[in-house]
Amino acid sequence: MDDPIAELLIRVAAEDRAAFKELYKKTSTKLFGVLMRILGNRAESEDALQEVFTRFWLRAGRFDPEKGRAMTWLIAISRNHAIDRLRARPAEISDDDAVLSLQDHRQGVEASLVAKGEALRVIDCMGKLEPDKAQAVRGAYLGGLSYQQLADRHGVPLNTIRSWLRRSLMSLRECLGA
Amino acid sequence: MTDEFSHSDEDDILAGEYVLGVLTLSERLSVETRMKLDTSFGRRIAQWENDFGPMNEGYADLKAPNVFHRVEARLFPKKRKISNFSWFQFVIGTASAAVVALAIFLILPNPQRPELVAVLQGDAQAVIFTASYDGQALYLQQTGGPAPEAGRDYELWLIAGDAAPVSLGVIGGQTARRPLPDLASGMVLAVSLEPAGGSPTGAPTGPVLVTGTIGA
Repeated sequence: MDDPIAELLIRVAAEDRAAFKELYKKTSTKLFGVLMRILGNRAESEDALQEVFTRFWLRAGRFDPEKGRAMTWLIAISRNHAIDRLRARPAEISDDDAVLSLQDHRQGVEASLVAKGEALRVIDCMGKLEPDKAQAVRGAYLGGLSYQQLADRHGVPLNTIRSWLRRSLMSLRECLGA
Repeated sequence: MTDEFSHSDEDDILAGEYVLGVLTLSERLSVETRMKLDTSFGRRIAQWENDFGPMNEGYADLKAPNVFHRVEARLFPKKRKISNFSWFQFVIGTASAAVVALAIFLILPNPQRPELVAVLQGDAQAVIFTASYDGQALYLQQTGGPAPEAGRDYELWLIAGDAAPVSLGVIGGQTARRPLPDLASGMVLAVSLEPAGGSPTGAPTGPVLVTGTIGA
């Protein structure tokens, strides 16, 4: 298994506290980046980091290395928690920071992936979407933008952005394969 | 809906919308409830999560504050064993009291005293609960923090291993008692903030405020 994080997670599932500490050392930098990008607020991201590590300990037994990489699993839990927090905020306001950070490191991302020779299926498939639709998908995924924020950013009605993303998901699914 | 898709496509799109994160909170909660019950829908979500995995390269690293000790304090609270100090003091305090105490001890069938088994706390929370257990019932006492705001309730959950949290009901005051014959070391108790009357879905829907591990 070429996934050292998965090996740690499996030990965490067996309640190995040293492995848990090692997991924190190895992954907290990436995960804090994820939480800050979505939440845009340091104090809240710190709380969220504490919460997601609590969940890793409690849920580690459900991780299955046959089904995907451990880092992907950790990031999925972290993104879900951050997005739940965002959507639970009383009045969701358009967040300028989030919009600014939308000018994301697209080239950088793709270059570093090519360098790693990873399966780039999703990047290829994203490249087949119209540019503004691909940008909306990226803004939602990386920045945690809601339909309303995306509509504001792209200057289109809510129904239009919803239709864009739903069609884009369908195209991606066809391109990625089931 | 502006588009017509088949049921299967609709499920895939909904799973994709969930993973992208564009849904509202109530839509997210209904997706989260469904994925627990509907394994094929759960697989669609896992598929999207893996497919989108390479996009995670778009998140820049950011040096994290060290909150690990807070995570540990929450998951593995130091055992604050209830000593029998007050009991001893009582017994050896006065001879007559000891006689009375002994009499009570002998008269009561199975006089097992509840022992502290977990402290439920969260670092960002003033809310603290202590949990004691006498072999038959769990006793929960709120020892810190405010009562829930109007229109909300605290709800108690028991998590055994990988199983989904099981509700032990809304905590209706400073203290609560729950008959519970099989509490074991390593199980986790958690308190979440829910709408008044408790979670409408049977799973925690609000933030988990505090957790504690039995016997940790």
